[in-house]
Amino acid sequence: MDMANSRLVEIKNLSKRFDELIVLDNISLEVYRAENLVVFGRSGQGKSVLLKCIIGLMHPDSGEVLINGQNIFELSISQLNKLRKNIGFLFQGSALYDSMSVRENLSFPLKRHFPEMKHSDISDKVFSTLELVGLEDAIDKMPSELSGGMKKRIALARSIITDPQLMLYDEPTTGLDPITTKEISELILNLQKKLNMTSIAVTHDLICAEIIADRAIFLKDAKVAYEGSIKELTDSKDPFLKNFFSNEIIKV
Amino acid sequence: MRLPRLKQSRRLSYTDYLYNFFATITGLTIFNWEFIKQAFLPPYEISEIKKHMDELGVKTFGIVSITGLIIGLVLAMQSQPVLQRFGATDFLPGMVALSVVRELGPVITALIFAGRVSSGIGAELGSMRVTEQIDAMEVSAVNPFKFLVVTRIIATTMILPILSVYVIIIAIFGGYIAVIITENMNIHYYIDSVLRSVEFGDFIPGVAKTFVFGYIVGLVGCYKGFTAEGGTEGVGRASTTSVVLSSLLILIFDMILVKISLWIWPTLG
Repeated sequence: MDMANSRLVEIKNLSKRFDELIVLDNISLEVYRAENLVVFGRSGQGKSVLLKCIIGLMHPDSGEVLINGQNIFELSISQLNKLRKNIGFLFQGSALYDSMSVRENLSFPLKRHFPEMKHSDISDKVFSTLELVGLEDAIDKMPSELSGGMKKRIALARSIITDPQLMLYDEPTTGLDPITTKEISELILNLQKKLNMTSIAVTHDLICAEIIADRAIFLKDAKVAYEGSIKELTDSKDPFLKNFFSNEIIKV
Repeated sequence: MRLPRLKQSRRLSYTDYLYNFFATITGLTIFNWEFIKQAFLPPYEISEIKKHMDELGVKTFGIVSITGLIIGLVLAMQSQPVLQRFGATDFLPGMVALSVVRELGPVITALIFAGRVSSGIGAELGSMRVTEQIDAMEVSAVNPFKFLVVTRIIATTMILPILSVYVIIIAIFGGYIAVIITENMNIHYYIDSVLRSVEFGDFIPGVAKTFVFGYIVGLVGCYKGFTAEGGTEGVGRASTTSVVLSSLLILIFDMILVKISLWIWPTLG
């Protein structure tokens, strides 16, 4: 396969700082189609900022993010919204709309991205997506009635409802118990296989990373410090990585 | 739209307070300008505007009813002994009506509305901001400013004049209750006195300024909520500062608008 064509996301020399704090320093990265990339890093190392730059929620101080060869920072709002149809984002805290039921939460992106879609088609799509995450019974519940794991599943359903090519996961399993973490991670992997998606997942959860990752990078001091497979990173003799992953294992 | 960030710390110096004061004024001005730019562009989100008008109106209906009744009662009870001393109790209905129509009805309704609605908007949008719901909206191809802010500001601007007219009517009725407790006054005479005392020129500036007050309540609540940061503490701060700032701006604009209305209708003076 032609490598240039197989790249879905290209990040070139991305830098971002908040006042005096540099969170991303000249980062370059490529993500290939149907690949699952995991981004490791300690808290406050710019992992979420990286994801938000990829989807255009944050603007970097310098650098480019190319998705399908298009620099997202050069797009108009309508072009960017068109591109966002093909990107799903799972937020750290699920970010379900409190004032809307599960059905309305899932219908919302469909109504906005596909205004021509019929009401009956929207209902069918909502139901079939909830079936994928195994929560079709929760369709008329409010977010406040759901547990943490259920919220994550519903948020996952909302983010894949537009059948995106690219999924961005911001700490998909934070705050969940190990069993639910495993379930959510397997669900993410199954959905990706079923829908043939590319994904970038930010996490410091080794259980989740081991299940979903094809490749991993480690952000440290605002740079990509390490890159490789999960096995390469966890088996590394580097004292920092050894320390990070041993802590992770103990925590598990 | 780039809004200036306020300095957040438990210990702010005087210069920080001064900086925050000017940053808030600048932020509100930018926010206001953004509203003007976006309010006239499609999509108009009519169903959201209707939903907010319904919610905000219904939420405030009970509290303004009680307030209106008490304003009328107290005003009549306080004025009656003074007017009686001069043998001028016949002027009581007109006096209650004029006070309520020109000033008390619109301003007190606006202040109650600010306390009830501005804080609610500040807390709701603030919590949506800190839980990334606003970001989620943006990812779903929705302009959050348009969907959340423009619709709420239009709703508060439209609903406050309706509530004010309602409060004025209730307050005049409250005045009648106070009157009949001590005076033997016929309801027809009371209504007739009210209608004779209040002219159209009294009514228009009183109600017209409630559009401005409604706009202030929506604008300040949305601005504070939209710019909230710092978790639940930030949400609380957004809620309380919304009430304080919108109440203060209502009183300042009331003073300015009274001056303008006296300039337009010199006979009101």
